Amino acid sequence: MESPTPTRKLAFNADAAAILIALTFAALIRLNVIHRISW
Amino acid sequence: MSAQTIPLPSAARQPPRSQQLLALIPGTLLLFAIGLAGKALETFGIFLRAHHHYFPRIEYVLWAIILGLVISNVFSVPAIFRPGIATYELWLKLGIVLVAAKFVFADVLHIGGMSLVLVAIELTMSLTVMTILGKIFRLPPKLTSLLAIGSSICGVTAIMAAQPAIESDEQDTTTAIAAILALGALALFTFPLIGHFLHMGQQPYGIWAGLAVDNTAEATVTGALYGDLAGRMAILAKTARSAFIGFVVLGYAVYWASQGQASRVERKALFLWQKFPKFILGFIALSILASIGFFSTGQLTSLGNLSKWAFLPAFAGVGLRTRLRDLVTQGWRPILVGVLGEIFIALLTLGMVLAVYHHGAAQ
Repeated sequence: MESPTPTRKLAFNADAAAILIALTFAALIRLNVIHRISW
Repeated sequence: MSAQTIPLPSAARQPPRSQQLLALIPGTLLLFAIGLAGKALETFGIFLRAHHHYFPRIEYVLWAIILGLVISNVFSVPAIFRPGIATYELWLKLGIVLVAAKFVFADVLHIGGMSLVLVAIELTMSLTVMTILGKIFRLPPKLTSLLAIGSSICGVTAIMAAQPAIESDEQDTTTAIAAILALGALALFTFPLIGHFLHMGQQPYGIWAGLAVDNTAEATVTGALYGDLAGRMAILAKTARSAFIGFVVLGYAVYWASQGQASRVERKALFLWQKFPKFILGFIALSILASIGFFSTGQLTSLGNLSKWAFLPAFAGVGLRTRLRDLVTQGWRPILVGVLGEIFIALLTLGMVLAVYHHGAAQ
């Protein structure tokens, strides 16, 4: 039986990557390197 | 949620890391393309209706899911896209960590703490009921354990975390995952209808979705389909629920080891830490920073908007990974046990949330 998509193993730790990316963006926004993100 | 996944057969040869990362690109682009198409359709609909043309009043969240569902269920997703589609987990966690900027930490403690109490009740009741249902319908015992873990805690992630711990076979794991995913898809469409029918407020509805819907992705979407605040509340309640994953998986691992059908867990504290969803730490950190005035109001708005951009591909992934045909191909008994268990959990958590809000305990 074909394995569903979510059982695929990512080549990196998604938790660590998510925290790293979020804190990087937070720092860039705090330092005004990124002025505004609109939706 | 944790980074645990089903181990690959030992004979399988892993390609180099750079090749694995390159393989993520097509599927990741597909996720973003579908998410952006969903947002474009919402904007297009607003434009058409403003010019007195008919267009369905559907938000980008639902458009992204519908497009994903159509692609994965009507057409077949080519193999080249599959590794990248799995990155929906990264975008989901990124969105959750970033959305913490919209929470005051005192609210996280208050609502999260209230959710923890409700989660403890929900866990106890749902694990018991799923185990009884599994016995009534004579499911294999380990499949029953997986369905109980998946429906009470954190859906697919909990099942994948439990699989190596209780040493269930791959067939049971695949069946449990398919059942939980298919049932999560049904929740997307039924919960908002029930919420509107009962005239539920954004906050109680969001907490209900977070407590009752199994997967973090589906719980987030089920909340977001009702409104922005409901989406954030669903994330908060679901995060509180996910924090229990280690304890429940450890409990089942100890049980199956006592039956001589799984290895003993030697270092329990390490086991709990390994299963703990670490992205929750990022959520707490950003919420504290937002609460102590580290960011200006405009910067908090930017972080909130960034979380919406991160959720776009995650919502597309929910549609893409849901295969409705699994409802019929996995056999009727696991699905029936899942459906009955989910109805019980939905009613139980709805009753708890309504009772809490009726008595003003959550204000």
